[in-house]
Amino acid sequence: MALLSRKTAQEISELLDEYGIKHGPVVDSTRGLYEKKIKEAMGKGKRTKYEPLPDKTFYREEEDEVTYVYRTPVRSEGAGDYRDSGSYMSSRPNWNEREFQQEMSYSTYARPRSEYRGREYVEEPYLYDKTSSYRNSSLTSTPIKSGQDAPKAPQSKSRLIPLWVQFMFFLAVAVFLYIVFSSMETNESLEGIE
Amino acid sequence: MSSTSQKHKDFVAEPMGEKPVMALAGIGEVLGKRLAEKGFDKAYVVLGQFLVLKKDEELFRDWIKDTCGANVKQQGDCYGCLKEWCDAFL
Repeated sequence: MALLSRKTAQEISELLDEYGIKHGPVVDSTRGLYEKKIKEAMGKGKRTKYEPLPDKTFYREEEDEVTYVYRTPVRSEGAGDYRDSGSYMSSRPNWNEREFQQEMSYSTYARPRSEYRGREYVEEPYLYDKTSSYRNSSLTSTPIKSGQDAPKAPQSKSRLIPLWVQFMFFLAVAVFLYIVFSSMETNESLEGIE
Repeated sequence: MSSTSQKHKDFVAEPMGEKPVMALAGIGEVLGKRLAEKGFDKAYVVLGQFLVLKKDEELFRDWIKDTCGANVKQQGDCYGCLKEWCDAFL
């Protein structure tokens, strides 16, 4: 990164915008403060609007269906996307509706493609596995960065409890209820009660 | 809401005119001197900086901390003083 002091006021202003730092005009008396803020932001490794996260992959579905969106808490999805999602590939059309309904239950993902901003995605097409309901596990079948994604998937999803945990819990509850029901006594065996 | 000092009340009661920077709440002799050395010798110059920072609290706090080493309380007092003055007179 070039010396901040060499940059024009306009460039400093743009850098501040990139890091999402609220600011006023860059004048002599404010410049030092803003340069310091930019250095801090760079040092913290804050991502700018234009830098993608290298570990995330972007899953796309058909253009008119909802899109799976990775979110990080730091940056909002802004209009600063310059990445062209042109390598957009439509996979099986017939599962879309079902997936759509699944998606709707995860409200954070229910976004149309146009809202997605390229900061977090890699331009590889993702062929969606119809039978897999857990998206991240189906990730492992893709050749692209799946290894990094599998351990990270539970964290990067916005679910508090990962899906597989929910399933296990459901199964445990079902088994428990079955045991309870099966050990209940029938009416015929009770005596003395009229 | 914390109570404001007499200095604060005095400052926001009237237009600041040519008051020195030490008239600002939170700015005493030491801080006032440091600010004056940097060119902020009058309250209105600090006001100018406050306005250029768009009256943003965080930016102003950072700036005054960097410029004269004000602590959190002093930053807050100065910000509050200027903000209230602006609300009344600007």
